[in-house]
Amino acid sequence: MDRTGSGIMSLFQSSIREISLNLHSKPGARLVTLLMVALAFIVFNTFLIISWNLQGLMNREENTVGMEVFLQRDLSQAQGRVIGDNISSIPDVQSVYFVSPEEAEALFRAELPERSDLLDVMGNDFRLPASLQIVFEDEAMTQGRLSELARQIQAIAGVDEAVYGEDYLPGLLKTVTTIRRLVILLGIVLVSSISMVVFYTVRLSVVRRSLTVDVMKTVGAPWWFVRIPFLVEGIFMGVTGSAGGLLLAAILSKLLSGAVTHRFMPVSWMTMVILLGAVTGTVGALAGSYEKER
Amino acid sequence: MLVTMNSVRLSYGRWPALDNVEMEIRQGEFLVISGPSGAGKTTLLRLIWMGERPDSGSVEVSGFRSDRIRKRELPQLRRKIGIVFQDFRLLDSRTVFDNIALPLQVTGTGNRTVQKRVISLLARMGLSHRRNAFPHELSGGEQQRVAIARAMVAHPVILLADEPTGNLDPDVSREVVDLLLEINRGGTTVVMATHDPRQVPAGKGRFLFLDRGVLRRADRWTELDQES
Ligand SMILES: Nc1ncnc2c1ncn2[C@@H]1O[C@H](COP(=O)(O)OP(=O)(O)O)[C@@H](O)[C@H]1O
Ligand SMILES: [Mg+2]
Repeated sequence: MDRTGSGIMSLFQSSIREISLNLHSKPGARLVTLLMVALAFIVFNTFLIISWNLQGLMNREENTVGMEVFLQRDLSQAQGRVIGDNISSIPDVQSVYFVSPEEAEALFRAELPERSDLLDVMGNDFRLPASLQIVFEDEAMTQGRLSELARQIQAIAGVDEAVYGEDYLPGLLKTVTTIRRLVILLGIVLVSSISMVVFYTVRLSVVRRSLTVDVMKTVGAPWWFVRIPFLVEGIFMGVTGSAGGLLLAAILSKLLSGAVTHRFMPVSWMTMVILLGAVTGTVGALAGSYEKER
Repeated sequence: MLVTMNSVRLSYGRWPALDNVEMEIRQGEFLVISGPSGAGKTTLLRLIWMGERPDSGSVEVSGFRSDRIRKRELPQLRRKIGIVFQDFRLLDSRTVFDNIALPLQVTGTGNRTVQKRVISLLARMGLSHRRNAFPHELSGGEQQRVAIARAMVAHPVILLADEPTGNLDPDVSREVVDLLLEINRGGTTVVMATHDPRQVPAGKGRFLFLDRGVLRRADRWTELDQES
């Protein structure tokens, strides 16, 4: 047996040919499976979109989940900005805005005009503390992560106090967390049920092509050569099904955008959906093409 | 010794398909295993290509032992063995050429070697004009010759033929047996299972007889022949 470059090429070529022979034969069951995968993913995508929009809604309503970090009074403007730069390098921090004492006073007077006299009473020497307005990434929107961030920021030298909407946040966060858990649960149910569907479809393929499989084995084909066409078939169904589900969900979202204002999910989430499809297809195909011996 | 079977026993369910089989196959011989349908001939051949493992006892083929061989070593064993079946087992979506080339293509043999070997085998089998035909377009005899070519293309040390003439007319059967004898003269060990040992001329091979899973010594069929 020659294992020259041309040998490897010919092995590669015949493997590709096996894959395409398998994909081209009897597409009926595969089409039904694709449709089922796509439909399941539409349901999943709907929940993802709801979750995404709820989060967006919360961000907008509450003027984004932010934190107000009051700086110690004896700090200079430059020192304040250095602390701001430090904070912006913390993961999950989206933006940091420096509010000078003058700006703070102007804001106070603008937002609470009836209390302006308070400032007057304090006299000319009194200055409000400089502060940093911090906005976080959506990923940081859990109670646990927010208090962790508050602790971390509070520990920075020059920081007096970090305040965030502790009083109103828990309720909203709870809702978002619940939806998130639901999405994860749904994801698990989806992965297991779709893997089952892919499993049976691949199994069907293996049985339908049992003559080919047997002959391949009796002529000494390596195990991966026999199995790869089925793995590709499973991954193909998972990826195409999830992509199809995404496309259908996008069309639906477009159609409904007149009735309900909402956003479609971000690219990173779409990538996750396709990845989930690929994983599901792989798991189903691995199980479906497994044989004990021979 | 190419094949050695020691106290081999194998049952499907309650009845043993093979019972206490002791056998050796020498390099270069032509062995005929005969016996009525259900005697265990196919099972015996399956044990040789290790499509089956014995319940007890051991089978050793060209250095591979049934009780030690690993799953990933099976392809290596199979590449040393050519197998021909009664029902040909050709792949219908491939041409004659591709069917014959299969054992080489799945082991990474270079394209030029594949071309050379398949073309010379086609000529030897008198099938050159059929190289682009599909199996269902061929006669039974032609299909079996394609199957034999596929079994021989990777130069196996042993050729197993399970009822190779079972689906063929008598004169076509004779041609196939002649082809197997010729292959054996070329140095390849041949094991042929058949319910009708008279297809192989006496003196052209060693004959073993299987009777409900028990292997009997040579020439039993001639005795049976005289009884009937
Ligand atoms: N896969 C199987 N499952 C159950 N019984 C089998 C199987 N293969 C063979 N047998 C039984 O084993 C015995 C021997 O079969 P086999 O080796 O095919 O005989 P032969 O090839 O001589 O006709 C028969 O009784 C047959 O019914
Ligand atoms: Mg048989």
